[in-house]
Amino acid sequence: MRNIGLVIRHEIKTTLSRRSFWLLTVLFPAMVIVATAIPQWLAGDALDEANVLQAAQQSLAHIGYVDEAGIVKALPPGIPPDTVVAYPDEASAQAALEAGELDQYFVIVPDFLESGRVVAVSEQFNVFSGLNGAELVKYLVSYNLVDRPEVVGLLLDPTPKETRVALAPRPPRDEDNPFTFFVPFAAMFVLFFVISMTAGYMLRSVTQEKENRTVEVLLLSLSPRQLMVGKVLGLGVVALVQMAVWMGGGLLAMDRARLVTQIPEHIQLTPGFVILTLVYFVLGYLLYASALGALGALAPNVREGTQFTFIIILPLLLPFWLNTAFVSNPDGGVALVLSLIPLTAPTSMVARLAATQVPTWQVAVSLGGLLITTYGFVVMAARFFRPDTLLTSTSLSLRRILREARG
Amino acid sequence: MSEPTVSLQHLSKRFGDVQAVSDVSFEVYPGEIFGLLGPNGAGKTTTIRMMLDIFRPDRGEVRVFGGTLDEQAKERIGYMPEERGLYKDQKLEPTLIYLATLKGMAEATARERLYEWLHRLDLYEHRHKKVQDLSRGMQQKAQIIATLIHEPDLIVVDEPFSGLDPVNTRLVKDIMEEQRQAGKTIIMSTHQMYQVEALCNRIVLINRGRVVLYGEVEEIKRRFSAHALVIEGQGDFSNLPGVLDMRRQNGAYHVALAPHVDAQTVLRALAAREDVFIERFELAEPSLEDIFVMVVQREGDDA
Repeated sequence: MRNIGLVIRHEIKTTLSRRSFWLLTVLFPAMVIVATAIPQWLAGDALDEANVLQAAQQSLAHIGYVDEAGIVKALPPGIPPDTVVAYPDEASAQAALEAGELDQYFVIVPDFLESGRVVAVSEQFNVFSGLNGAELVKYLVSYNLVDRPEVVGLLLDPTPKETRVALAPRPPRDEDNPFTFFVPFAAMFVLFFVISMTAGYMLRSVTQEKENRTVEVLLLSLSPRQLMVGKVLGLGVVALVQMAVWMGGGLLAMDRARLVTQIPEHIQLTPGFVILTLVYFVLGYLLYASALGALGALAPNVREGTQFTFIIILPLLLPFWLNTAFVSNPDGGVALVLSLIPLTAPTSMVARLAATQVPTWQVAVSLGGLLITTYGFVVMAARFFRPDTLLTSTSLSLRRILREARG
Repeated sequence: MSEPTVSLQHLSKRFGDVQAVSDVSFEVYPGEIFGLLGPNGAGKTTTIRMMLDIFRPDRGEVRVFGGTLDEQAKERIGYMPEERGLYKDQKLEPTLIYLATLKGMAEATARERLYEWLHRLDLYEHRHKKVQDLSRGMQQKAQIIATLIHEPDLIVVDEPFSGLDPVNTRLVKDIMEEQRQAGKTIIMSTHQMYQVEALCNRIVLINRGRVVLYGEVEEIKRRFSAHALVIEGQGDFSNLPGVLDMRRQNGAYHVALAPHVDAQTVLRALAAREDVFIERFELAEPSLEDIFVMVVQREGDDA
């Protein structure tokens, strides 16, 4: 027991003293949020009439259009006349663009009503911009295609004031509140990255000890299973530290920005949610740390080990890719199935728990399956942790992994 | 003789289709430096791992300190595997403290004793450096500290002089001799035969997983003395009958003969040749290296 304690302490000290750990802990979430969340948020807002007008009014950009189809009779009210300028032909629009008077221009082709084709011309296109001149042109065309101005808004957003009535007594979802998207996404994000990163540390820790032959010295003081237990528990503590930094940091930032009160009623951040998140985290971590630890026990070096990491982490990543399914319809079929499958449950169920009220039976089935699977993975990893596997330099292959897994 | 510290009886170990060790037996006693010798892949490391309870033998019995190895007994062993064995990307001091505490030492005692060793092996100034930033010789000395810091009664070292300059080689030899005089049991595996001759009382030579030589160094050398010659003279001494190995040293040829060939056969062959002029022809005590080559080559021929 004393030696397991020493391994735990060693793993914690070693990992927390790495600069790369703190860099990842601080920088990585910021990068992912910028790369994933903000464009989605902007894209979600893009077709809203008020946003289009507001952006047009605030914009310093100037766009031009050449109406070869002859459908534009007037500019919609609210759009400053110098923001959207008509040109008689493409040559004059191109000259204006080259002279720097325009940022981009659009050609509404003669057969627009049949083909729906509009050509956008610009110096360059920014793929990350969620809102650009195209939205203004859509608005302009819509306005001129219908007789009644109030219909234009409905064309852009057909159900602006949808009222949902649920038969089950649960708070209605506020789709316009950004936290409806952000909180489940953040919960999934934290679970995914903490589990995958710390499970990755497990792989690295095992393979490095194999590579530098320290394991041969350690095996004189520890059994392979004691070594595995020490590593799993030590890196589990590291994972908790990372989760505390991310969740605590997130809540603190929201609190400072006085955003906590804006979290809508249907988002369930109750003590029950926190406890269940912890349970899913612990089981998910044990499952994936065991899997990657077992991989490390077989791999002769870090490089060969990491080649298979993606395959193992894939089920955990899947809900992350399909995050819109959890945000837009957390009670839907995709979200339900993924939250019940043990390998995808840790991230999926936590996202659902943050987004909606999950029926108790679903939580029970999900947890039961996850518990049994985690137990199976821990037992399998313990079988992989043997002196002969830890001391061999045999190359890693899928066939070898499957042979070992079968015992 | 006292109770052996290590007693291996008829050990065998197979990995898949490969019989790594077959029927290996030997004993090692307190106060001796014992040479565990053999060519690469002979089964030395597997034998050491079975001795240290890292591998379970398929057959045979291992007794260390008079019984089977339990946790307390393992803390009385210092083991230095060949090369490496330290965390490359971690600093020297915490690495050595961690390994010492795993051997049952309190951290404060470990640190106190570590500083003594670091001073002695001239590593104190480097204690805050990462292991990978130390020279190969320094890493080797750090490994020796990791092996000895908890004052083990049984010391198992694999290539202890690897990467050391002559000054540090002398230092490590002195430490080994010191440990032997303190009554510790030392098992040393190395390919540096002159170090074995200088340090070891007894040896075992393993080849292809089997013991092919076992006993006192002097007795083994006597046993092979009829099969070693020193020849000096002019001319071409190649193509002599029954010669396993011949090397030139200080103007003389040191010749190792095959077991079925005696010196008279070689002398008669030389006398019959007109292209050589003999100035010196004498029976020699073979070096351990000659014996090693002789035995391993003979085994190869028999296979």
